[in-house]
Amino acid sequence: MSDLTAVPTPESLRAWLVDCVADHLGRAPAGIATDVPLTTYGLDSVYALSIAAELEDHLDVSLDPTLIWDHPTIDALSAALVAELRSA
Amino acid sequence: MTATVADPLARLGALLDRSPAFDPATLAALDRAERFPADACAALDAFGLPAHYVPVEHGGRLHGFGAVAALLRAVARRDLTVAVAHGKTYLGAVATWIAGDPAAAARLGARIAAGAVVSCALTERAHGSDLLGGELTARPRAGGWTLDGEKWLINNATRAELVTVLARTDPGGGPRGFTLFLLDKARLAPGALTPAPKVPTYGVRGADISGIVLRGAHVGADAVIGPVGHGIEIILKALHLTRTACVAMSLGAGDHALELATAFAAETVVAGRPLADRPEVRRVLADAAAALDLAEAAATVAVRAINGLPRELSVLSAVAKAFVPAQVDDLIARLTDVLGPYGLLGPGFRHGAFGRLERDARIVGIFDGSSLVNRNALIDQFRRLARAWRKGARDDAGLAEVTDPDAPPSAFRPAALSLVAGGNSVLAALPDAARRVRATGPAELAGLVDRLVAATGEVHAEMAAFDLRPHAVPPAAFELAERYELCFAAAAGVQLWLRRPVDAPRLRALLVRALDAMGTR
Repeated sequence: MSDLTAVPTPESLRAWLVDCVADHLGRAPAGIATDVPLTTYGLDSVYALSIAAELEDHLDVSLDPTLIWDHPTIDALSAALVAELRSA
Repeated sequence: MTATVADPLARLGALLDRSPAFDPATLAALDRAERFPADACAALDAFGLPAHYVPVEHGGRLHGFGAVAALLRAVARRDLTVAVAHGKTYLGAVATWIAGDPAAAARLGARIAAGAVVSCALTERAHGSDLLGGELTARPRAGGWTLDGEKWLINNATRAELVTVLARTDPGGGPRGFTLFLLDKARLAPGALTPAPKVPTYGVRGADISGIVLRGAHVGADAVIGPVGHGIEIILKALHLTRTACVAMSLGAGDHALELATAFAAETVVAGRPLADRPEVRRVLADAAAALDLAEAAATVAVRAINGLPRELSVLSAVAKAFVPAQVDDLIARLTDVLGPYGLLGPGFRHGAFGRLERDARIVGIFDGSSLVNRNALIDQFRRLARAWRKGARDDAGLAEVTDPDAPPSAFRPAALSLVAGGNSVLAALPDAARRVRATGPAELAGLVDRLVAATGEVHAEMAAFDLRPHAVPPAAFELAERYELCFAAAAGVQLWLRRPVDAPRLRALLVRALDAMGTR
């Protein structure tokens, strides 16, 4: 169930994604730019799907993990997610 | 019962026993000459096997994917080269069932039912399993596309009338940079497609393992399978399905190996008594049977998951494809160790069938992603699987369907396929299943299922704790993946047994085999 009092914003999603990607890469969050494709950091496309899957668990909604292929930067993914959550 | 008349598996068995095209001496001679088993494939066409490759919704006879897997296993049990050669049409068409528009799928279904061979061209000389490295390119032109490039090491590339081709459609590549096309060779201009020569192979020597070269090959817009740019997603989903078919062929090879070794041990008399009288020979045959049961349990559940647990298929199919061919290779090696010195491998026994099988079986391990590729796919999902295990997430209706071989398969839903699994219901339900075994089963099983539950818990704890980095997967992760596979296969065995709780000693042997392989005490 999504909690209507805590609808994520692009900012909160971006911050969560930065932490998640940093955790997967073993890097500091400060070193992750939100406007470059995640492949820049050596995340291959199939591996990136597991990040989308973590996002699905975090938000407790059903997401197609290939959303991360259509929106390959953290900025684009955050914006797309907010749009998707609003339309859901 | 009149099932023997109507049951395709029984009818296929009769064909394999009676058709001269399946005479073992004939097939052995073709293998020696590296010649394609054309008569055997023609006999399977005449039998109507191709219609079983086509889903009912597209005009064929495929309801549940377990049924087609059983048919391919039966062919593989007789001759792996024939299974690989004929079954390729099933594998080659799957992308269209998943993503093609209904009219295109109906057209393809009709062609297959009429005997057309379909191939699937993914790999390239310079890139192997790295699909995103593919250089064969499709460029848009008025009313369609132009394809240029080469695909190599493709089963049936030369014999096929139709070929599913993965082509780069965005010069920059990436996961949305490729598109799938269904090429109809008869509709290409002369010279647009040149077959590459057959590659001599270590096993399945008669198979048409070759390639295609495309030069300015024009195709219409209707050749595109699914949305432009979605080729990688569609083919990864197709591989989840086709892996279960590879697994079925591997089981058929295992059946054949055990059958040959058992007959050899019974017929070979050394120092006045048959080999089968010796305890060490009996033990290796019993171990092989338990290994095959364990592999079969994993395979049965994975293939039924196409219909019953499609959201978990990415994990279940990868686990089965990594596990089953490795188990079969291992059981063949053990049988070879014990019976090889007495002549099992030699040309004198059943036209050298065992020696040939030993070579042939190994190739299935590398089809549609090697064990390494499949274990890597599983490792990528460790974190999520560990989380799902902790939460106990499971799909009970799907689990009931996949663990009951008599349950009617639910309709195939391509839209439910996902590249990432939400969990593994077979393992999530293991603690409950173990409680039922303890409550209702014989005492000899209770201790074994307890050890399995404990081992499964430990594997998930290690998965949760694993500090994984993309591109730096340590060997310990692969070892952990192997233990996960064993937990899954054993849990599948327990679930299947609970549906039909007979022959407890057989389940006992399966569990002992799995726990021994994990090194638990």
